[in-house]
Amino acid sequence: MNGPARVAGDGTRRRRPVSPMRVVIRIFLWVVALGWLVPLLLPLYASLRPYAETAADGYFSLPRTLNFDYYVQAWRGGNLPTHFLNTLLIAVPAVLLTLFFASFVAFLISRRRLPGGKVLLILFTAGNLLPQQVVLTPVYLMYTKLPLPWWMSWPSELVYDSYWGIIAIHVAFQTGFCVFVLSNYMDTIPRELIEAATVDGAGVWRQYWQVILPLARPALGALGTLEFAWIYNDFLWAVVLMSTGDKLPVTSALNNLRAVYFTDYNLLAAGSILVALPTLIVFFVLQRQFVSGLTLGANKG
Amino acid sequence: MADPQPDQNSPAAIAQSRQRAQSRQRALSRRRLLGGTAYTAGALALPVGLTACEKPSTGGESGGTVTFGSNYSDEVPKKAIAEVMAASGLDVRVNTVDHNTFQENITRYLQATPDDIFSWFSGFRMQYFAAQGLATDISDVWQSIGGDFSPAMKKASTGSDGKQYFVPFYYYPWAVFYRKSVFQEKGYQIPKTWDDFKALAAKMRTDGLIPIAMADKDGWPAMGTFDYINMRANGYDFHVSLMAGKESWEDSRVKQVFSLWRELLPYNQPGANGRTWQEAAQSLGQKQTGMYLLGMFVGQQFQGEAAADLDFFPFPQIAEAHGQDAVEAPIDGFMISSKVKNLDGAKELLRYLASAKAQNAYLGSDPNNVATSNSADASGYNALQKKAVELVSGAKQISQFLDRDTRPDFASTVMIPSLQSFLSSPKDVNGLCKRIESQKKTIFAS
Repeated sequence: MNGPARVAGDGTRRRRPVSPMRVVIRIFLWVVALGWLVPLLLPLYASLRPYAETAADGYFSLPRTLNFDYYVQAWRGGNLPTHFLNTLLIAVPAVLLTLFFASFVAFLISRRRLPGGKVLLILFTAGNLLPQQVVLTPVYLMYTKLPLPWWMSWPSELVYDSYWGIIAIHVAFQTGFCVFVLSNYMDTIPRELIEAATVDGAGVWRQYWQVILPLARPALGALGTLEFAWIYNDFLWAVVLMSTGDKLPVTSALNNLRAVYFTDYNLLAAGSILVALPTLIVFFVLQRQFVSGLTLGANKG
Repeated sequence: MADPQPDQNSPAAIAQSRQRAQSRQRALSRRRLLGGTAYTAGALALPVGLTACEKPSTGGESGGTVTFGSNYSDEVPKKAIAEVMAASGLDVRVNTVDHNTFQENITRYLQATPDDIFSWFSGFRMQYFAAQGLATDISDVWQSIGGDFSPAMKKASTGSDGKQYFVPFYYYPWAVFYRKSVFQEKGYQIPKTWDDFKALAAKMRTDGLIPIAMADKDGWPAMGTFDYINMRANGYDFHVSLMAGKESWEDSRVKQVFSLWRELLPYNQPGANGRTWQEAAQSLGQKQTGMYLLGMFVGQQFQGEAAADLDFFPFPQIAEAHGQDAVEAPIDGFMISSKVKNLDGAKELLRYLASAKAQNAYLGSDPNNVATSNSADASGYNALQKKAVELVSGAKQISQFLDRDTRPDFASTVMIPSLQSFLSSPKDVNGLCKRIESQKKTIFAS
């Protein structure tokens, strides 16, 4: 029997005398919670104070000046609006394509008795375990040799240094996880629905597009938010596969706030918070989808 | 599934279910999803579609666009370089990538789709890429601009095959900085020799100053001290061949450098590995420390009166044979990539960048550097810049700083941690040299 349930169940009852063990646990929980929060709150605090002040007093001192100057500076100096737009140009198509392809594969594996379907599923799931860094150099070399027409990729005329390349690599890496989750989710949809649709004369496309996909909407929503956050947070690929500074997404462009001989960490903190903000907003607004997305397909209904 | 079924025939229930279906459709219909996809696909093509309705000219003949890969990412230099490029009379498209990323990505950048010209450093780092065939030989450009540059500058622009690959733009010397007012007040003399230097440091300590400011949090500032002690004790030639991986780090001469350095450590600001150079420079500004060996960019941390009070002296002599011959003065400049699209335009742009006009225009915005061209106008220089010109033009050899004189991977993965560990525990010189040597062998073998 645990305390909270009892207290919640009966507010008028006197609380149990506090045992020393509970005090220890409480203190422990607070310390751990603070330990998690400090790395988040400290940059927030630092970003509001001028560098000269933190350099003189240290980061854990009481503030003399608090203002949003660094945010303005980061927004303008780092040219963040352009880079935010770049991120959207990468993340939105990448998420949509990933979900589209993954739902295709999941549908085939889960709802059609595809020969070798289980092997395919294992293959896609195993792909998740491959560290992206392993294929860095091959992908780079491949991209520098694949031509694109000039109106798709300028000035390189290659897949390298184009958004197409970045989107393709994200789709390639994220599809595996989405297939895994979606096929597990589709397994929970009663088979009778498809059978009924087949009897009514629905073709494969119709079964996928009008029967299964609408039912998989919660899973698609949850995955969409998760995938958006992941692709948004990517730093590596854009740095490796882009050479035009103005085309970089916002995470990679944060480096613009570092000067040559001097890094103003307070400015960098302000920039980081601006960059982290969209993910935080997405998380708080769509918290339920996030949590359900992480546990989706964990149990078969 | 367990919901009790409402009366399906009641009109209210029908209306309700219809409404529900409608609102769901409004929230996210498949058609809408498709529309969204089409829209973003359109947006993807948009950036190029808007700017270019027909294929932009790549040049090929002089007069076309010249692309310039720039690492001038700080706000002031970025603006200054844009103005310099605008005044060139050529159509220059600047692609700015932040300084650190540019440096880390340089190999990938040069192999893939480099711009016509790119900003880079002289010395081993330039020679390394020239030797790999990633840069274009510009000896013909040097025939027309050579008259404006000192032989040392030309040497710093020459690859290991004897051809020129680099046009120097500006440089900044490394020296020991101090505040004139402190030296005047306490009656200190500029030290000429190693013994004078140590004696001065000892005197400062009795006067309550921390004699030598020191910071190595970022790993590279301490390299300057190593370079200078090595060049003063063993000479420039040994330093260069040590950097090129041709000498053993277990050589007694290298060990001597560390033991000489150890003599200075008691006078150093303690806890160097946790301090940035800015903090060390500020301690010099606040007169807590007496001297600081750093590049001229130290001036960025000094404003107004303190800036006028800042002065420097060359690193003192250690071995008489080498005197104060060598000066550490990293040179920044430009190169042409091997995949250049508009070669004539690129060469024309380099000729312009080598001119006194372009260099004067740039340095007006950045007073912590000195122009490389001899005919650049020195009348606008402050006292420190004038002294720097004097120091470098009197130098018999110019070194480029450890991380530019050796392989970048050796400098960052071996030398940074090695020097930091030396600063925190200077006792085990033999072990340190042994570790550096074994890692050096692996890196230079690759």
